[in-house]
Amino acid sequence: MASTANGESFNFKVVLLGEGCVGKTSLVLRYVEDKFNAKHISTIQASFLNKKINLDDNRINLAIWDTAGQEKFHALGPIYYRSSNGAVLVYDITDEDSFQKVKCWVKELRKMLGVEISLVIVGNKSDLEKDRHVSLEEAKEYAEKVKALHFQTSAKQNEGVEEMFLALTQKMLDDAKKKTAQEQLLIGQNSQRTVTVVDDEVESTTRSCCGSN
Amino acid sequence: MYATKQPSLRIKQADLKCKNGCGYFGNADWDGYCSKCYRNQMEKERQKKSKQSQQGDHSKATSFSKFEEKKRQQSDKKTKYFLPVFRKTSSLKETGRPEKYIDIRQMNPDADKLLAEFISAYGEWGEAVRKDFLKCVQSFTSKIIHELDLKSVEELADIAQNYYQLYNNRLNNNAVYQSVTPEVRDKLLDFFERYSMVSLYTFLFCPPSTNDEEKDLSIQDRIRKLSWVNAHHLDCCISETSLEVRDLVYTAINDLLGMDSMKAPQEKLACVVRCCRSVVEVLQHCQGGPVSADEFLPALIFIVLKANPARLKSNMLYVTRFCYGARLMQGEAGYYFTNLCCAVSFIENLTAESLNMPQQEFEAYMSGEVTCVSAWESALVACEGMHQLCEHLSLLKGLSERMTAVRDDTQKLKDDMHRLKEEINDKVTSVLERTPLVIQPRKTILPLTMEFLKSLPPLPDKVEGAASDEVDTAPKYYQQNITMNQMGLSNPKPKLQLDITPCVSLPSASEVKPSLSTEFLTVASPAVDKSLDSITPDDNSYLGLSKINYDIDFSDISAENSIIEDLGESRRSPTMSFTPDPFSPMGTGCTIMQSPLVPSAAEMPRAEDPPARKNDFVLPFLEEIEKEGTSEETLLDKVEETPTICLPPPIKPTEYTGFSKQGSKIPSIPCNTGDFSSLNSTPNAGSSKDTN
Repeated sequence: MASTANGESFNFKVVLLGEGCVGKTSLVLRYVEDKFNAKHISTIQASFLNKKINLDDNRINLAIWDTAGQEKFHALGPIYYRSSNGAVLVYDITDEDSFQKVKCWVKELRKMLGVEISLVIVGNKSDLEKDRHVSLEEAKEYAEKVKALHFQTSAKQNEGVEEMFLALTQKMLDDAKKKTAQEQLLIGQNSQRTVTVVDDEVESTTRSCCGSN
Repeated sequence: MYATKQPSLRIKQADLKCKNGCGYFGNADWDGYCSKCYRNQMEKERQKKSKQSQQGDHSKATSFSKFEEKKRQQSDKKTKYFLPVFRKTSSLKETGRPEKYIDIRQMNPDADKLLAEFISAYGEWGEAVRKDFLKCVQSFTSKIIHELDLKSVEELADIAQNYYQLYNNRLNNNAVYQSVTPEVRDKLLDFFERYSMVSLYTFLFCPPSTNDEEKDLSIQDRIRKLSWVNAHHLDCCISETSLEVRDLVYTAINDLLGMDSMKAPQEKLACVVRCCRSVVEVLQHCQGGPVSADEFLPALIFIVLKANPARLKSNMLYVTRFCYGARLMQGEAGYYFTNLCCAVSFIENLTAESLNMPQQEFEAYMSGEVTCVSAWESALVACEGMHQLCEHLSLLKGLSERMTAVRDDTQKLKDDMHRLKEEINDKVTSVLERTPLVIQPRKTILPLTMEFLKSLPPLPDKVEGAASDEVDTAPKYYQQNITMNQMGLSNPKPKLQLDITPCVSLPSASEVKPSLSTEFLTVASPAVDKSLDSITPDDNSYLGLSKINYDIDFSDISAENSIIEDLGESRRSPTMSFTPDPFSPMGTGCTIMQSPLVPSAAEMPRAEDPPARKNDFVLPFLEEIEKEGTSEETLLDKVEETPTICLPPPIKPTEYTGFSKQGSKIPSIPCNTGDFSSLNSTPNAGSSKDTN
């Protein structure tokens, strides 16, 4: 719903999901601020960031929501990701558990939001190739299976971050355009809907009158 | 919020689905139904109820007994139960509604305030915009009030959202708003929401038809029970001892508490945003660097636990229902509000597991068997004294800092004074070393001068008398004597006489203090020193000395002249006193006594001591100077720094001398012209003296 196709401008909400310490915050900071080291960053908060981009002559405003990755906050996921257009599922290539966690998120998101949400699975910390515990093939295979994009990034060395977000935005844009096209087909239905609202009101008033009698 | 009824942390799929099993997601607020099934359910109940009410008195009695329960069931409002009792017919009730409506419009002072605000903020966009805006607001509010008794809050919220959307479309498409810029359109939409919601606040906030109030109480109770939870339990790094952090935490808590006092949903939202920003700041203080959600959420939970805001649930529900949805879910406000929802949800479902503590311990805390001693608690509640202590400590710290600063400064001042003293001593000794020879001639001359004075015509007598009367005269007198001596040394005698005459004349005019003072100032000013110094490098010390003295003498002479003129014409004195000023940057207020001290006085703060003292001082000092001759290198350096300044003083005295001569002969000369002429003449006079 955040995507209000107003002319050629879109608002997309993107949630960052993933286990703690996989580098969600670094990823988004690298993307929005192009900074990695936390020490000399002027932004006081990295949990909510806006990024404006132009893509195919479309003005797109990305609102990127960081989420708390701790296990104890997992249950709060639905509150975060409801009505979001995209999700970035981050795992640490050196941590097998974090990849399993991503699988959990994918299942949950697909169940709750269906295909309306664009997913991208991100293997972060690709600079630590020597400590890799999640094979690239496995991750890619899985991503393909769940119709998600897959990227390998390194927030530290600024590798693949920009591309990842761009690809996600492109996908969200395509989805949004498809959706608006469908909506335009259903414009007639839309007007009917408003009519039904009015009907409801009329009905209820009459009924209440009866009730009072 | 989906998981409100679930103790476990994970939500099972089934819990989220509608109870009817229609496949859509349910909501705790809708008794676990999806929106469609919930509406159907309500319809059914409504019908049931209407049937019951038709059955007569019996059903009414039961309705009273079940009042509490039914109150919540949206279909019938409180009024419905009471109205039949007090009013016989439904027609009365129908008329009652418009009355109520009118009351709202008239009774709500906020609406008037908002109207005024609207006109001041958006009045420039014209009458049409205003009219249309008010028309829309009116239709919206009247619609809501009309439906108030008939619809559930959720349905009212739907209506509200529809209206927001309608108005948004109207803003973008209606011709009335064509001239309005997009930014202002956004603001207008905000204002539309605010205006209507402030008007409707009493009806829509925590409506009696819902169980919002009950939820408020339960969450409040829950938070109270969890009061023992501290930052450590939540794994968030809020340092409880830092004063700064504590202040920020207080502001965060205050902002969160302030939410309840706001009326418009967006204002409540703004409170949440402010609170969250404070939380972010707290975290920044505690850990540095950017704050990620991993740290932010626990901190927010902590703040909510410590704040325990009034009517928290009601407020949140009110915001979710009546804040323009598209706004709510976007932007910073949306994010922070979502986090608040998360925090509340977490608190509702908090278990031992989520605090990483054994079940037994958790239960012990919850039942109050064990009380947790938290530093925060003591900081917040137990120790007001502790708090004061901290404040006082910081105050004392500040005071001690200032004390040390004062001490340092005094020490510095002392050192400076010492240095000055030494400097002066050095100078004096150096001067003494340079001109040991001078002493004798001077001593011999001193009596001579006295003789001269005596031998001189009536004027000298006056001078002597004046000198005795005035303290000021004494030093000058000496100076002149000195100059005479020097002159005698370096120059022919006739000059001596010349010099003497002025000094004699000076004292005679005791009244003309200002003129004297100004002249002295010129002498006393650093410029004089410089002039002296400037001379010294060129010539021998003797020559320089002579010149210095010369200058002083001339100034004196000029003063005399002025005095004389004053005696002759009262006008003269002010003009004379005025002229010296430009040359002497220093204030006219300086004491006359400084003049004798000149060479050293400029640097010495002590020179400004009471005049009487100086007199005592002056005489020996002067003598010394004369003996020693001109001051040396240090002075020279200074001179070179500002050579331009050096010129005026010699000039002035020379001018004055000329004047004095003229003045004595021709008393009436316009002051201005005199000044200029003096300026012009100065260089000549100076050169002539040099040649001499």
